[in-house]
Amino acid sequence: MKIVAAKKILKMNDQLAAENHAALEAAGVFALNVVGSPGAGKTTLLEALFAQLKGRLRPGVIEGDIAGSIDAERMETIGVPVVQINTDGACHLDAHMVAAAGKELDLREIDLLAIENVGNLVCTSGFDLGEHLRIVVLSTSEGDDKAVKYPAIFQGSQALVITKIDLLPYLNFDAQRITADVKRLAPEAAVFQVSAVRGDGIAEVADWLAEKCGRRAR
Amino acid sequence: MHELAIVEALIDQVGQELDRAGQPGRVLRVELSIGRLSGVLGESVRFAFGLLTPGTRVEGAELVIREPKAVCNCRACHAQSEIDDLVVECPRCASTDIIIEGGRDLLLQSIEIEE
Repeated sequence: MKIVAAKKILKMNDQLAAENHAALEAAGVFALNVVGSPGAGKTTLLEALFAQLKGRLRPGVIEGDIAGSIDAERMETIGVPVVQINTDGACHLDAHMVAAAGKELDLREIDLLAIENVGNLVCTSGFDLGEHLRIVVLSTSEGDDKAVKYPAIFQGSQALVITKIDLLPYLNFDAQRITADVKRLAPEAAVFQVSAVRGDGIAEVADWLAEKCGRRAR
Repeated sequence: MHELAIVEALIDQVGQELDRAGQPGRVLRVELSIGRLSGVLGESVRFAFGLLTPGTRVEGAELVIREPKAVCNCRACHAQSEIDDLVVECPRCASTDIIIEGGRDLLLQSIEIEE
């Protein structure tokens, strides 16, 4: 006997992601799925953005890492509510992990929830977490060819933040090239260039985020 | 990509389908459709399937994998090209005014059960 299913695998993840999204909406929380390679500067970018958004949006963070709590400790240092997820080897967060972590946060005290994914440009593209926006963080030292080499992650994202632009004088990184590649993959995506250590471009990203979650901001 | 997680989800899903159909029988065959643009490798799924199915209701089942191509529809030259990989321009005229269809889905197509 043959059972014809013709159903999506990972449907379970999509359903849980939809539940996460509904729960976030109900709590008035705007959520970001922050993806990028290890060392792209995701945590540093979040630190800079939260400083910039102080008094405008109340941040919260879910940190996803294979092991350890280094990033969560950084968030605690700056007084941001944070939950650490250790994936025990898994290369991405999924909606189930985020649902469990979300229960540990008091969502009433959060306007902007950044979910910092495991450093990975491949696997993270397959799992919707229930976020409002997915943002790719890419540092100049990773090279300007990454959109062509890892198209799936860029295709489903709403913004690219190019970090470490203070290193441009020492690198052969063509920001125009990657911007053009990303625009082909995701025509609506916003592209920003920042240096968290110098502060360049951080205000633009912060303003964009504040506008995106505007109706929820208090 | 994350083939282990996918095969875990697949095993759960096969179990759900069997329960729904009220079928306690042994699974003979599982058929999957893995689009060429899904980022999922059939070979790795096969490897994970062999690793994870022992001790489950899917143990011993044959795994059949189909890998449909995607189609690039060009709005400039109106060519319809079959593609194996994601492209950003038409393979025929190099226009970037293209719409890519299909090739992304990861589907559990069918399950065959012993009568």
